[in-house]
Amino acid sequence: MHKEAAIREPLILGNPTYTDISNDVLHAIENKPTKLWKVLMVIASIAAVWGVGCILYLLGVGIGTWGLNNTVGWAWDITNFVWWVGIGHAGTLISAVLLLFRQKWRMAINRPAEAMTIFAVFMAGMFPMIHMGRIWMAYWVLPIPNQFGSLWVNFNSPLLWDVFAISTYLSVSLVFWYIGLIPDFGTIRDRATRPVQKLMYSLLSFGWTGNAKAWQRFEEVSLVLAGLATPLVFSVHSIVSMDFATSVIPGWHTTIFPPYFVAGAVFSGFAMVQTLMLIVRKAMRLEQYVTIKHIEYMNIVIIVTGSIVGVAYLTELFISYYSGVEYESYAFINRFSGPYWWSYWAMMTCNVVSPHLFWSKKLRTNLAFTFVMSIIVNIGMWFERFVIIVTSVHRDYLPSSWSMFYPTWVDIGVFMGTLGIFSVFYLLFLKYFPVLAFNEVKSILKSSGEQYKNMSDEEFKALHPVFKKDKK
Amino acid sequence: MANTKKYWKGLEQLDNDSKFVESSNDEFAEQLPVTEFLGNKEDLEDATTTRRDFLKYLGFGVAAASLAACETPVTKAIPYLNKPEEITPGLANYYASTYYDGNDYAPILVKTREGRPIHIVGNKESVLTKGAINARVNASVLSLYDNNRLKAPSVKGEDTTWATIDNRLGKELKAAKSVRILTGSVISPSAQSVLDTFFEANASTVFVGDERVAMKRPYEATVYDTISYSGILEANAASFGKAIVPTYNFEKAKTIVSVGADFMGNWLDALQYVNDYAQTRKPNGEWMSKTFQFEASMSLSGTNADVRVPVKPSEYGAVISSLYAHLGGSGGAKTAYDARVKEAAKALKASKGESIVVCGSNDKNVQVIVNAINELLGNYGKTIDVNTVSNSKQGLDSEVAALIADMNAGKVDALLISGVDPLFTIGDAFAKAMKKVKTTVSFATKMDDTAAACMYVCPSNHALESWSDANPVTGHYSLGQPTISPLFDTRQTEESLLKWSGNDSSYHDFIKKYWEENVFPQSGSLMFTDFWNKTLHDGVVEVSTPASETTAVFAGDVSKAVSAVKAIKGNGIELELVQNMGVGAGVGADNPWLQEMPDPITKITWDNYVTMNPSEMEEKGYETHFGQEHSMNVVTVDASGGGSIQLPVIAQPGQAKGTVGVAVGYGKKVGNQEEITGANAYLLIDRKKSDVSYYGSVTLKDVELDEPYYIACTQTQQTVMGRDSVIRETTLDTYKKGDREAFNPVWTLLSGETETDEHGHQHQVAKPLKEFDLWGDQPVKNIGHRWGMSIDMNSCTGCSACVTSCVSENNIAVIGKDQVRRGRIMHWMRIDRYYSSEHQPLGDVGGTHKATKEAEELGAIGAYTSMENPADNPSVVHQPMMCQHCNHAGCETVCPVAATTHSNEGLNMMAYNRCIGTRYCANNCAYKVRRFNWFNYIAYSKFTDINPSQDDLGRMVLNPDVVVRSRGVMEKCSLCVQRIQEGKLDAKKAGSKVQDGAIQTACSAACPTNAITFGDHNDKESKLAAERESDRAYRVIEEVGQDGNVYYQTKVRNLKAKA
Repeated sequence: MHKEAAIREPLILGNPTYTDISNDVLHAIENKPTKLWKVLMVIASIAAVWGVGCILYLLGVGIGTWGLNNTVGWAWDITNFVWWVGIGHAGTLISAVLLLFRQKWRMAINRPAEAMTIFAVFMAGMFPMIHMGRIWMAYWVLPIPNQFGSLWVNFNSPLLWDVFAISTYLSVSLVFWYIGLIPDFGTIRDRATRPVQKLMYSLLSFGWTGNAKAWQRFEEVSLVLAGLATPLVFSVHSIVSMDFATSVIPGWHTTIFPPYFVAGAVFSGFAMVQTLMLIVRKAMRLEQYVTIKHIEYMNIVIIVTGSIVGVAYLTELFISYYSGVEYESYAFINRFSGPYWWSYWAMMTCNVVSPHLFWSKKLRTNLAFTFVMSIIVNIGMWFERFVIIVTSVHRDYLPSSWSMFYPTWVDIGVFMGTLGIFSVFYLLFLKYFPVLAFNEVKSILKSSGEQYKNMSDEEFKALHPVFKKDKK
Repeated sequence: MANTKKYWKGLEQLDNDSKFVESSNDEFAEQLPVTEFLGNKEDLEDATTTRRDFLKYLGFGVAAASLAACETPVTKAIPYLNKPEEITPGLANYYASTYYDGNDYAPILVKTREGRPIHIVGNKESVLTKGAINARVNASVLSLYDNNRLKAPSVKGEDTTWATIDNRLGKELKAAKSVRILTGSVISPSAQSVLDTFFEANASTVFVGDERVAMKRPYEATVYDTISYSGILEANAASFGKAIVPTYNFEKAKTIVSVGADFMGNWLDALQYVNDYAQTRKPNGEWMSKTFQFEASMSLSGTNADVRVPVKPSEYGAVISSLYAHLGGSGGAKTAYDARVKEAAKALKASKGESIVVCGSNDKNVQVIVNAINELLGNYGKTIDVNTVSNSKQGLDSEVAALIADMNAGKVDALLISGVDPLFTIGDAFAKAMKKVKTTVSFATKMDDTAAACMYVCPSNHALESWSDANPVTGHYSLGQPTISPLFDTRQTEESLLKWSGNDSSYHDFIKKYWEENVFPQSGSLMFTDFWNKTLHDGVVEVSTPASETTAVFAGDVSKAVSAVKAIKGNGIELELVQNMGVGAGVGADNPWLQEMPDPITKITWDNYVTMNPSEMEEKGYETHFGQEHSMNVVTVDASGGGSIQLPVIAQPGQAKGTVGVAVGYGKKVGNQEEITGANAYLLIDRKKSDVSYYGSVTLKDVELDEPYYIACTQTQQTVMGRDSVIRETTLDTYKKGDREAFNPVWTLLSGETETDEHGHQHQVAKPLKEFDLWGDQPVKNIGHRWGMSIDMNSCTGCSACVTSCVSENNIAVIGKDQVRRGRIMHWMRIDRYYSSEHQPLGDVGGTHKATKEAEELGAIGAYTSMENPADNPSVVHQPMMCQHCNHAGCETVCPVAATTHSNEGLNMMAYNRCIGTRYCANNCAYKVRRFNWFNYIAYSKFTDINPSQDDLGRMVLNPDVVVRSRGVMEKCSLCVQRIQEGKLDAKKAGSKVQDGAIQTACSAACPTNAITFGDHNDKESKLAAERESDRAYRVIEEVGQDGNVYYQTKVRNLKAKA
């Protein structure tokens, strides 16, 4: 046990004991749902049911119920897909990359961020499925031995790489998340009084004993999974970006896409974590654990990734001019001055200009401002994908095919529906799952907790017999 | 002696002891332990299978067995018991026949499969049309299977039998004092003879005519051409003493001046001109023709003309007259277009006797001056022949007016109407007169406005169910044969008339007899049977005509005509009524293929509209752009001569200012209203004048509609945005200099390697694109076949016959106006039409890539924005566009399931069954030629009234060689792979190589100007290989590196490059 430098701000405020931490986090699980939760659940369910209805209508009648046409073959579907995948980036980044970098502040946010990741990837994964003309043949994208004259998948296709990337990412994230949940489920099981609850959580906890060996193995597995997950953080969105980068369409065919997409994904992922955490910490009274410092850290990530994205945008513009390629330069002139100029400028404002307001400490530690900004960033990132997908393809090589895309109510309904389904999942998570990794939070209480930080050296050493021995 | 061997089943049998004999009689070798089993009561009671269980299993078994016995409905494919000699399932038969609908005449070949006609192509044997057809001819096969056809005769709207009709009508015709027949032009000599027979048989009752003697026929049949060419007939009567339409030989015309005549599209016998005209557009030939087009609305000819001058319709006469003056005649004064008229006159003078001047006006006086000009130029007897007469237009306006007058006067007791729809095309004036006629008979094949008002409807067969013959031009005959038995209880008009004349012979026998007596003697053949069989096989025959080489002497009164023309004054907004290539005079109005065929010029489907110059529309604040959500301004068009219709206004660059154009043929009241759209522009014709004029003056009033009015336009961007790797064009003089770099530069890239030139300067070596390819060549590059195409943009007029031909061949779904508007048209073959813009003029050769001075001032963004708008009077280019069958195809690499792959013959193939519909291929197609099945067009109820393939009858037109695609799969041009396979099999059977030209795709076969060459790139001797190597050959956006198999030939305009 070491004492953290005083100059670092505490990561746990107040003076909670270990029991307090358990009580605070498990309050939602061990009590009846609150009114706010119920209201949100009703709203989310309505949106979800509407969305499911739209999807069923889409699957029943055909892709024509969307606003796509011969020229614009992808629009909101793939925009939503990339947007959700991007959001799904923050969770694994926080849990894996920050774990490897031993960033303790991740303890307070990794669980809700990972939950967000998983639900976001669910939503994302749905779009490539429902955007297919014949979803009932969707399994053909898997390299399954078959008897159709032994037809094999096309390994040249980035869409196939997507299948592998997303499914790998989802499974690793899910396992990582679940491994992290096991000790917490063990605690819940131990505290549970109602038989059904006890049974459920004891099943979920996989017989967690909490002995030292279990903890040691837990740490090892976490580290291994973090090591596995880290490359995935970069691979998933790189591969998603290759859907566009490997094509011939001006505006898609861009070699900087992989890093640019990853940065954008982290950018939007953190913004989404902000949106959710700001509500959760307030509603579930977790301000002690998710502190202003946490919010600030995340805002700093937003500044950095936002700047990378900004540089990428400007690089694209410059290269399109510098390349001298007629189609390439027109594609970008069209982006900012063509019929979709408003979406380009919405993207630029939200993603490039607004994050720089966070250079002001006052603003980046302001909760209300952060909340608004997190929404703006996610709007901006949605527009980024829309701009890339639609404004590139709607005016490509042959002017005779130039076209516009107009969303239908089904397009909008499916998107709203995924927001609803996501929210339903998230609300269920908040109610039935330990919303913070409280056993891990406990591990930093005595190093980064406020009361310990404010102790004098003597008091601290008095607490720890280890130091007493040293004195001898 | 046979050695009978015996085989023993075992030693026991060999021994054959009594025990064995006994046991061999039992069914089972061993005694079954039945008694043992049933006798043991305890065991039985202990057994788990109870009686209840047994009954359960029994019940289940019975139920399962009976369920299994229920069959799913069986669709039977029954083989022929006696196979008809000529029908082999799976093989197509072609029958020569004839198409004539009152407007278009074309000898055709009808492709039939298992007895069903499914496709129509032109008959290349014909020296008149040389196989040219247009979309209407091609798509007419669909109307055979139209469920809205009349299926039985009817009296006063009630279905009846032919016997009843014959009985009742026979009596009424006998009783009638005067019987009149109204037909379109009759080019069939046998039909003419039927009419004679009919009148002879009913001679006693024929009303004997009045003073209309001058051009009267010997019986009271009135010819009414839906689109009147009365002006030409009368002018020729005045000029040469014969009310005829001459034949034109465009093949010999070095200069063509057309004033408002769309001779490549719909004017007169355009199908007989268009191939000849295209022959004169070869830039590497000895000479290339030059075309001047003076016109108000942009016509197909206008888009192809070298010089197009927007002129108001009221000035057509003045332009002709001043052209006459410039040529040295006593014509009229200068016009506002004098410079252009002078230019035309100069070109005409330089090619005397090798030029043609035509005019689309129906004004006799204007046509007299046109005749005078052609006489002055010495064109008669050279490019225009008044001795070889075209019969396809015979109607005189005066005769129709006289008929209406007679009807109004109560002088007509019975009126028989065949082949025309006067209630639709003339309107109230005819309807009112028809009420005075006691007995009215219609021979319509489909319920139309006139048939609905007739007492007797005696539906005739569809042309493909009928025998016919034609004498379209002096000395040229053709035969039409039925390719299917009548589908319904219908009877051919001629047969009905024969019946009512008391002649019971079939029309087939009648024609044969007529030919034996009249045509055969002129043919010089020895045996009639041989002559008949050969003609029936070939479809066409030429016979020597008695030489009446008395050169026609021009005797027109030009000065009178000139002064009459001077009096023509336009006022207000001038109207020009036009025909478009799909609907024509109205024949295509209820044909979904034609309604969905984008107009070659506006690219609009399913509508007619008012065309107006965009700059005038901007002044009025009208919407000038196209798009899914761009609603159009709607106006009421009030004609000064009566008639008022409501139509949207659309921007037509090149429309003469102060004029509007409206297409006729739309807006029928009777028929499938899902199919028939638009408003009836025939109502705008001033019927108070006896001479029909398609020009007039109108006032436009804005209409506020409750809902926005949308237009289904397939091309919303009008210009090519200066992209000279999409469209390459040049002027004739630049081309003639022979420097390929000047008009069709080869793409090169700087390689990075340096070399030193003779001046000691180092510079990078430019290498052709191919050297930089990341991809290797296809392994089959020079092995086997590599199919491809070459499209000559100089020959392509944009007529769109290839579009409907492709629809017909490849079972392409009709999706209706709403879906077309949403940019989802399914056509595999489209024709891109680009207008030039002010800043990047298309015709400005070599300037397309370089920004003009004005563009520099505007800056890049300003220039692009400005380029989006077409010029006021743009030059136009048509570019057929279909799958380019790229050897390095973008679509093939991105499909996750390998549903689209490359064949070893260079084809980009599509496996519909494998497609899961991600649309990635469509996004990654640089040419945007892939089409997605957004809905289940063949079953979804939303398309029941639109897609003909949804009803059993309409399905009969489907090509059995091509799969009908279902929902959620991608499709695109296959280069008619089914025809390639057939061609290869034919060659294999014949034991030869595939001969060049033996395989034709649907588009190349339909092209009236042979602009599309299909062939094998690997066949060094092929026409395709030669065209590919031509200095005009290029590939669209070749620099992207897709390495397509489709080549285009640079368009060359007969102009001089701007200095």
